[in-house]
Amino acid sequence: MSIFNALNASSSALTAQRLRMDVISSNIANANTTRATVNENGEFEPYRRKMVEVAPSDNSFKSFLNKATNSSSNPATGVKVTGIVEDEEPFKLSYDPTHPDANEAGYVQLPNVDPLKEMVDLMSATRSYEANITALNASKSMLMKALEIGK
Amino acid sequence: MSIPISGLNNNVIGVTAKDKVITPGQAQSNFANALKNAINNVNELQNVSDQKTEALAKGEIDDLHDVMITAQKASITLQATVEIQSKVIDAYKEMMRMQV
Amino acid sequence: MDLFGGTINTLQQSLNYASVKNQTISSNIANAETPDYKAKDVVFKDILNKELTSSITAKRTNSRHLPFENDVQSAYQVVTRNDTTYNHNGNNVDIDKEMSELAQNQIYYQSLVERLNGKFNSLQTVIKGGR
Repeated sequence: MSIFNALNASSSALTAQRLRMDVISSNIANANTTRATVNENGEFEPYRRKMVEVAPSDNSFKSFLNKATNSSSNPATGVKVTGIVEDEEPFKLSYDPTHPDANEAGYVQLPNVDPLKEMVDLMSATRSYEANITALNASKSMLMKALEIGK
Repeated sequence: MSIPISGLNNNVIGVTAKDKVITPGQAQSNFANALKNAINNVNELQNVSDQKTEALAKGEIDDLHDVMITAQKASITLQATVEIQSKVIDAYKEMMRMQV
Repeated sequence: MDLFGGTINTLQQSLNYASVKNQTISSNIANAETPDYKAKDVVFKDILNKELTSSITAKRTNSRHLPFENDVQSAYQVVTRNDTTYNHNGNNVDIDKEMSELAQNQIYYQSLVERLNGKFNSLQTVIKGGR
């Protein structure tokens, strides 16, 4: 517990949002990758969309103990990324018999990435990043103002 | 009609002079106690301020304004006590200058 | 001799409240998109005290056991708003409300510090006797 609890919470959110943005960029970049991995049968599989899982980063025993005994606990919980998971939606099929990766019926499996959805997610991550920057600046200016007590 | 003259009536209503008189010894000890308390207070405040500053340096403090306010209170109390001390000394010097 | 009277104490308590409120707002904004996160808020305890019954104290057989600390020193408490949901993922943080509360709290904190400085400065002026 320190005077920088609020700053730590905001900066953890900045890290999480930046990671989310990286994942979204990776999704958009690979929106047409048909040969991302090789599965057990030796065939190529297209790129699977990745998603980020976040959770509040307040799961240490100390925080639970503090809450249970009602003593002053740290009210600032940050956020942390608990994992990058793959979207289990089925791949998109597109009919293109001339494509090298077309199957016998002439369908190509394309990644399950929807660029529009990724753009909306990217905007949401950007706004969240900016909101956390504002919160960080507010905390910082409050601390700087506290230093001026008595000047 | 003549009003008989009687002596002065000393039984005035209210507090007589006797009840309010404190001996010089008592006055001195009251003042000495007040001074001692003030100096102890200053010492205590300075100690608390030092402890909080150390905790700040070690990163154990929750609220920065708490440390700043404690430091400011200690500083003001110290200033007040120093001023009082100098005023007392001035008063003493003034007294010593009095012609008996 | 109590130089620092009621106003300075009130200002100090209010600064504590504003600091805790800033931390809860920061954590709400940080978790604005976390699933199942419920927004936190800071309330004054005298509002809560009307609802709460008398507190229970823990019976301890050993002095090293942890007591139930009812933090009577502070006039405020952090609560969680559990009853609303704004998003499909269980999150109930209203980001616009949090941003505006952030701005308000910042102004509140800075004005408290200004007033506190004013009080301390006037005390110093009195002590120095106007010199």
